[in-house]
Amino acid sequence: MLQEILSALVAVATLQNLLIMVAGIWGGVIVGAIPGMTGTMAVTLALPFTFYMDPVPSILLLVALYKGSTYGGSVSAILIKTPGTASAACTALDGYPLAQQGKAGKALNMALYSSVTGDFISNLSLIFFAAPLAVLALRIGPPEFFMLMLFALTTVAGVSGSSLLMGLVSAALGLLLATVGEDMYGSFRFAFTPDMQAGLSIAPVLIGLFALPELIKLVVMRATKQEEAATLGAQHVTRAEFMGSLKTILKGSVIGSVLGAIPGIGPSSAAFFSYGEAQRSSKKGANFGKGELEGIAASESANNGACGATMIPLLALGVPGDVITGVMLGAFMIQGLTPGPLLFQTNIHEVYMLLIGMLVSSVLLFFAGKITMRMFAKVSHIPQTLLTPLVLLLCVFGIYSIASSPFDVAVLLVMGVVGFIMFLLNIPAAPFLIAFILGPMLEENLRRALAISRGEPAVLLSSPITWVFAALIAFVLFITVRREVQKFKTERRVEQ
Amino acid sequence: MKKILGTIALAVIAATGPAAAQTYPDQAVTLVVPYGPGGASDLAGRALAETAQPFLGQPVTVMNKPGAGGMNGARSVSEADPDGYTLLLARVGMALSPAVTPDNAVAWDAYSFLGALEATPMILAVRADAPYDSVEDLVTAVAESEGRMTYAASGATAIDGFTTQALLADNDLDPLTAATLVPYKGGGALATALLGGHVDFVAMAAGSLMPHIESGDLKALMVFAPKRMDTLPDVATAAELGYEKAGQIAGWSALYGPKDLPEEVTAKWQDVLAEVATDEKWLELAANRGSISTIGDVDMSDYAQSQYELFHGLAKDFGYLPN
Repeated sequence: MLQEILSALVAVATLQNLLIMVAGIWGGVIVGAIPGMTGTMAVTLALPFTFYMDPVPSILLLVALYKGSTYGGSVSAILIKTPGTASAACTALDGYPLAQQGKAGKALNMALYSSVTGDFISNLSLIFFAAPLAVLALRIGPPEFFMLMLFALTTVAGVSGSSLLMGLVSAALGLLLATVGEDMYGSFRFAFTPDMQAGLSIAPVLIGLFALPELIKLVVMRATKQEEAATLGAQHVTRAEFMGSLKTILKGSVIGSVLGAIPGIGPSSAAFFSYGEAQRSSKKGANFGKGELEGIAASESANNGACGATMIPLLALGVPGDVITGVMLGAFMIQGLTPGPLLFQTNIHEVYMLLIGMLVSSVLLFFAGKITMRMFAKVSHIPQTLLTPLVLLLCVFGIYSIASSPFDVAVLLVMGVVGFIMFLLNIPAAPFLIAFILGPMLEENLRRALAISRGEPAVLLSSPITWVFAALIAFVLFITVRREVQKFKTERRVEQ
Repeated sequence: MKKILGTIALAVIAATGPAAAQTYPDQAVTLVVPYGPGGASDLAGRALAETAQPFLGQPVTVMNKPGAGGMNGARSVSEADPDGYTLLLARVGMALSPAVTPDNAVAWDAYSFLGALEATPMILAVRADAPYDSVEDLVTAVAESEGRMTYAASGATAIDGFTTQALLADNDLDPLTAATLVPYKGGGALATALLGGHVDFVAMAAGSLMPHIESGDLKALMVFAPKRMDTLPDVATAAELGYEKAGQIAGWSALYGPKDLPEEVTAKWQDVLAEVATDEKWLELAANRGSISTIGDVDMSDYAQSQYELFHGLAKDFGYLPN
């Protein structure tokens, strides 16, 4: 085995492989940082190039793009409150307030350290626990999946801000919007035009909801206070700050690694899960959403933690967990390598090369992040009146470029108006987005579970995994209700 | 330096300009793949785009337009300008959807048929530890279960749902209620549902199942294809086993364009496809994704019509449409 690892190390340590990974990571970070351009797009665009490359470099290129874009999403989330990818939505909740307080550099650094740590731990779990995690992932059937998603949805309670009621309203709207289009049995809901039959894509909803209301605010309210341009300066994350968040980072990395290994969950859900968990358990929980470094740590460690772990079902079972790993599966097949149980027997040399390459790309992510941060930090010096129209332009073009669909642009603009109205009514946007992303997974798995049990709801509590999540959900409901009751009592006391 | 570059650029434009104005294509061709990236149709589209480029003389860019069972992308191409710059990677769904849901789908003949591309076999599979060793075993168990047994498919009226329903109908079982359909999205998810033991069987595209059949985790009971698969020489086809309806079902890809394409465009693609048919890279990529190249083997408009009629008949049989 040692011999094999050494020979793989020699094979992978070529200048060409290194350059490919640098290009992939850096390209990914930049694509991820641009609102509307997604990692899926980057990976898909790169796919034809891999037809003419050797198997291992081509997969390494795609993995590097995936990792880079997942981290890159945090850069724009922090600087302009526009998550470059859905998985950075929770990062914007704390990152943007920090940027407004002039601590953009701290936030960006924390995001990078958390991403790299999450990524590295995720790679280690791929190397050491691929087999058991893959077996665990297979046991997650529709009932387990549904309970897990239901638990992830409880994050809504944490990101509701000052009013739980408004948060629930927001989440309900998100769930409703998620039902637009064709359902899993082929019937259409709210499909008023042929475009709506396909449902609403995540990217235009995400960007419409987060980025556009800021622009409308600027135009409608004629923001009188000129916001201080956030300078990056010498804002390093101090040792104490890092150590304070270390527990959250490690927990986020593990959450990401485990959830990422389950096909279909992906980095976004892992980030929501981790953010909710960190907020509940952190001493600074009350400060989440107002500019708390630990919030960034929770979100970013989990989304990058999920990245490497999505390779577990892909390599060990040949099962792609999301669109990006779906494209990677295609890349493997084109190369004549078939991921799955036999890959580790027939192509162990390539597998080792891949694993070593992924570890190296974690390190590269660190440097690519540092450089990109410096480039994008200049964004903070652009006056708001100039920056916001630029962002709008970028959003519209980015969204249009995904599928050349004018409908997507319409969704983007409508969601911008909806987001602004929600802002006026003091309805938080984050629960909306979380519910919108989790909604289809909740619904589909509930209906699958009920189809299998022929309508018997007891199937949702039919295995130990479902019991665990049911207990967790009950616990979160209990502490949330208790918190609300206490808040209500204090308010009454103040009034009296 | 700039001057020199400018001169060269001008020279290039002058040299290629007039020639390009006369012949198709003078710009990149967009190939719409009506399903998401990474799936079997996407891979077929990208393989065609890569191999056709040198023969076409212009790049072919793949654009994924998923949604509504492929009808989203199909509609956008059928409504595009018939200038030859927007083409469709058609799949069996382009004949199946209009046959089953005529109100929501693009008509099967709303296109110009440029040619067939490939046949993609499908496999009826169960878990390796399942107590069924033949199709009859499975069908008997399904009949005895009174609808309790489950199968995964992309949807009731998707091709991987029709495979099972045709088999049930061939055995005089009710295609809609004899077994319970559990819908999943995409080949990977379908295969996982079976691997994890969440459903009892699937009858779906071979690509996602082959690795697990080779590793011994899944068992292949039957193949839906015109002939046996090279990789599964011992597994009989549905037609060999005497299943009339199931025996006619197979997956395929073809190249379509909007209706009324100019003569020049169809002629160009005839030539390009003839070159691609024997291209080594194309054949290698097809073999790698488990499909058989069929370029030039069938007349596509006849085949599309026969497929439409097959599915239209089945849809009436199964009760999706009034008789």
